[in-house]
Amino acid sequence: MLGWEFPPIINGGLGIACHDLSSAMSELADITMIIPKSSPNFKMKNMNLIGLNNLDIASYGNYNDNSQSLPFNLHSFPLDLDPYYTEEYLHPNTGNYASLMGDGTERLQAFNIENLYGNDIINKVTQYANIATNIASKMDFDIIHAHDWMTMLAGVKIKQKTGKPLVMHIHSLEVDRGGENSKGWVYELEKKGMEYADLLMPVSHFTANNIHKYYGVDKNKMTVIHNGSNVVNAFKSKRKFKEKTVLFVGRLTRQKGPEKFLDIASKVLETNPNVRFVMAGVGDYFKSLLEQSSYKHIGNRFHMTGFLNLEKLRYLFSVSDIYCMPSVSEPFGLSAVEAAQFGIPCVISKQSGVAEVLSGSLKFDFWDVDKAAGCILSLLKDPVLREKIVEDASVNLDKISWDIAAQKILDTYVSKQLI
Amino acid sequence: MPSLCFYFQVHQPFRIKNYSFFDIGNTHEYEDDLKNHAILNKVADKCYLKTNQKMLELIQRHNGKFKISYSISGTAIEQFEKYRPDVLQSFIDLANTGCVEFLSETYYHSLSFIFSKTEFKKQVEKHAAVIKKYFNQVPKVFRNTELIYNNELANYIQDMGYKGVICEGVDRLLNGRSPNFVYQPVGAENVKLLLKNHRLSDDIAFRFSDTGWAEFPLTADKFKTWVHDIAGNGETINLFMDYETFGEHQWESTGIFNFLEHLPSEILKHPDFDFKTPSEVIDSFQARDIYDAHDFTSWADSERDLSAWLSNSMQKEAIKQIYSIEQEVLTCGNPDIIKVWERLQTSDHYYYMCTKFWNDGDVHKYFSPFDSPYDAYLYFMNVFSDLECSVKKIHKKIKMASRISKTVQVNSEEKLQTKANSSTIKKSSVKQTALAENGVPVKINKSTTPLKEQYSKMLAYMSEE
Repeated sequence: MLGWEFPPIINGGLGIACHDLSSAMSELADITMIIPKSSPNFKMKNMNLIGLNNLDIASYGNYNDNSQSLPFNLHSFPLDLDPYYTEEYLHPNTGNYASLMGDGTERLQAFNIENLYGNDIINKVTQYANIATNIASKMDFDIIHAHDWMTMLAGVKIKQKTGKPLVMHIHSLEVDRGGENSKGWVYELEKKGMEYADLLMPVSHFTANNIHKYYGVDKNKMTVIHNGSNVVNAFKSKRKFKEKTVLFVGRLTRQKGPEKFLDIASKVLETNPNVRFVMAGVGDYFKSLLEQSSYKHIGNRFHMTGFLNLEKLRYLFSVSDIYCMPSVSEPFGLSAVEAAQFGIPCVISKQSGVAEVLSGSLKFDFWDVDKAAGCILSLLKDPVLREKIVEDASVNLDKISWDIAAQKILDTYVSKQLI
Repeated sequence: MPSLCFYFQVHQPFRIKNYSFFDIGNTHEYEDDLKNHAILNKVADKCYLKTNQKMLELIQRHNGKFKISYSISGTAIEQFEKYRPDVLQSFIDLANTGCVEFLSETYYHSLSFIFSKTEFKKQVEKHAAVIKKYFNQVPKVFRNTELIYNNELANYIQDMGYKGVICEGVDRLLNGRSPNFVYQPVGAENVKLLLKNHRLSDDIAFRFSDTGWAEFPLTADKFKTWVHDIAGNGETINLFMDYETFGEHQWESTGIFNFLEHLPSEILKHPDFDFKTPSEVIDSFQARDIYDAHDFTSWADSERDLSAWLSNSMQKEAIKQIYSIEQEVLTCGNPDIIKVWERLQTSDHYYYMCTKFWNDGDVHKYFSPFDSPYDAYLYFMNVFSDLECSVKKIHKKIKMASRISKTVQVNSEEKLQTKANSSTIKKSSVKQTALAENGVPVKINKSTTPLKEQYSKMLAYMSEE
C-alpha cells in the first residue's frame, strides 16, 4: 500500500482515511504501507509501516536505478507549482535530496521536512516513487494499492517493474482542488495513472462521475468504496451563549465553499438574528472572509476560530446545533459524518460524497444559498424536523464503517480477479 | 511678538488580550493586564519620568518663561493610578509650577464625537473632572482624539463653554495660508483655533532620528533658526506631538533629551520670542482668518483624515456594533459593564485594525499589540460578543424582575379589590370561575406557591442561565 499523509503527520482527511482504512484492512490481509515520513514511535499492529525518512541509505541500494522511462509520456510542465525555476526542477532525478556521501547510514533528507507538500512536491513525489519501487521490487506481494496522485507515480513504476495489478484509491482529484478546468502536471499524472491502473476505487459516486467526466475513464473500471468512520465518543456541552450555533469545519479554500457559508450566514441572519455562525479552520480565504463578514455587518454573529486541535474541535461539535458543509466539490466529507455522530443535523452540498451515504441530512446545490439558508432556518424552528434528521442519520451511521469498506475492497480484489 | 506653543499628548489605551472564541461566556477578563502594565512601565521609565523631570528643570531654570501644555487621556490617568502613581505625581509637580496647562479631551480617547454626542459630552465632562481633581485646573481649551476636527465640533464645543480648540493645520484647508496664526472656525465666534504646524512638529516627532532626512542631525540651534525665521509672519508656532516622542519614539540615544535641554534657551535668545500655553495664545491674539473644515480632519497618517480608524469594513463594523448597544449598556445599571464598554471606545482598538500599508501601515504595526489587523478585529469582536451577551442577560433579568413586581402589584391590588367587594357584596365565590370562549366555565388555576418564593426561584433559575 502506498500512502502519503499518515498519522501523526496529517494535513487533512487523507491521512486519517488512509490510516483507518489500512488498519481495518490489516485484519483481513497482510499490508506493507510505504509512506514518505513516519514517526519511529508510531507503530501499527498487523502492519509493516515503512517511513522513507527512517531508512538507511545502504539498505536499499542505488534508488536512482529506477529512473527508467514511464509507460506513458508525462511531459506537461508543472505550471501551477513554483514560478522560480531552479536547477533541481530541471533535473529532478539527480538525487540531491539524499546525501550519498558519508558512511551510508545517513537518512533521506527529503522526507525529514515539516511540509509534505510545498513548492518542491514534484521532486518529493519522484523521489518517493523511485525509492518505493526499489523497496517493492525486493518484496513479495499480490497487489499494489495506491492512495491519490502523490503515490501514483510510485504505483505505476512498481507495476511496471513487478507486473502486479495496480489499484488506485481516489480520495481527491485535481479538479476538486483546482476547479474543473484544471490542467497541468498533477492532472496529467492523475489521468495517465488512472488509465494505466487496473482498477480505481473512488470514495464516492460523485468522484467516480468526476473521473469519468473530466478524465474520460470508463466507469466499468471503478468500484466505489465509501469511506467509513470510527466511532466517536460524542458528548454534549453547555453553550456559553444563548444563540443557536451553526458550524463550518474545513480548510478555507475554494473547494470547501467557505464564502458560501458566509452568504448563507448573512441570509439566515436577515430572518433570525439570534444565531451564531462559527467557522473553524485556516486557509488562504481567511482574511477576505473576515473582511467580508464585517462588510456584511454580521461581525457580531460570525466567528472565525482559526486552527483548532482535535479537543477544541470536538468541543465545538458538542455545542453546535447545525453543521453546514457548502463544499463546491467534496469527494467525501468525513467531517459531516463526525457531526452526525455528535447528533447534529447536517446541511450539506449535493456536490459531496457524504451526501450519498447520509440520507439523514438536508441537501442543497452549493450555489443555492437561499435553499441552504431555508434549511437552516427550518431546523432552527422545527424540533420535529430536527429530531427526524438526527434519527435518520444515526441509522445511516451504522453503515458507515471502515470494516465494511475494508471487506468491500477485499471482495472487489477477488471479484475483479486481481488476486 | 511670536510665541511658541507646546502641547503634548499623553495617552495609553487598555489593550485587550487575544480573547478567543472559546473565551466567550467563559471569562469576562478582556484586558491584557500584564501587557498594559509592562508597556506602561517601559514608557514611564523611558519617557514620562525622564521627560517630566527635564520639563520641571527647564521651567525652574527659565523662571516661568518656559511653558507647556498637556492633554492626558482618562485611560492614561487610570493606568498611572493603577500601576505608576509616581508618574501621576510627577505631572502634579509640573502642574504646581503654574507654567503648565492641562487641556480637555474625551476621557476614553474615543471617537464618540462622530458616533454619539451624548456619550461625547459625558466623556468630556468626566475628563474635566479628573483633571480638576489631580491638577486643580478647569480646562478651557479642547483637543479631540487624534485632533479629529470639523466645523461642527467647534460649534459643539463652544456650546459646552470652551474658548479654544486644538486641531491639525491641514494643508489642503489652509490652502497656502500659514498655520502660525490663530484662526476662527466657521459659525463659532467665541472659539478660537490653534493649528498644528505639522512641518516643525513632525521634524521633532518623526524626522528627528531619520538619517535619510536632509536636515539630519537636528540640533536645537538649527531648529531655533527655523522658528526665528517666522518672525514677522506669524504669531503662534504650535508644536503639537505625542509626549512619547521623548525617549520612546525617539530613544534617548538619538539625543532627543539633549535637544530638549537646549531648545528653550535657544528660542529665547531672540528677544521677540516667548513660550505660551494654548489659553494664553487664545487670550493674546486675534483670530486672523476663518478656517473652514467641512469634513473631518485629524493629525493621523499622511491623509490627515479618519482613515486610520474608519477606512476598512472591519473598523466600521466594530465601531458600529459598539455604539449600537449604547442604550442597552447605559440602562443595564452595571458599572463594570459600562466601564468595559467605555474602554472599548478607545480609538486605539480601531487603529490596530487598519489595513493601510506603506509608511503609515508601519506606524500602525509599531503600536499594535496584535500580529495583524485581522487578529485585532477578531479578538475585539469576540470581546464584543461576550459583552453583548452579558448586557442581554442583565436586561432579561430586569425585564423578568419588573414583570414579577408588576404581578405582585396586580395581585395586591386584586386582593384589595376582593376585600372591598367582600365587604360590600359577597361575590368573591362567583369570581373563582371564569367563562371560557365556548361558554364552559373553567377553573382558574391558582398557584399555591407564595409569590416571594416564586420570585426567588425565578432569580435562581436566571442566575443559573
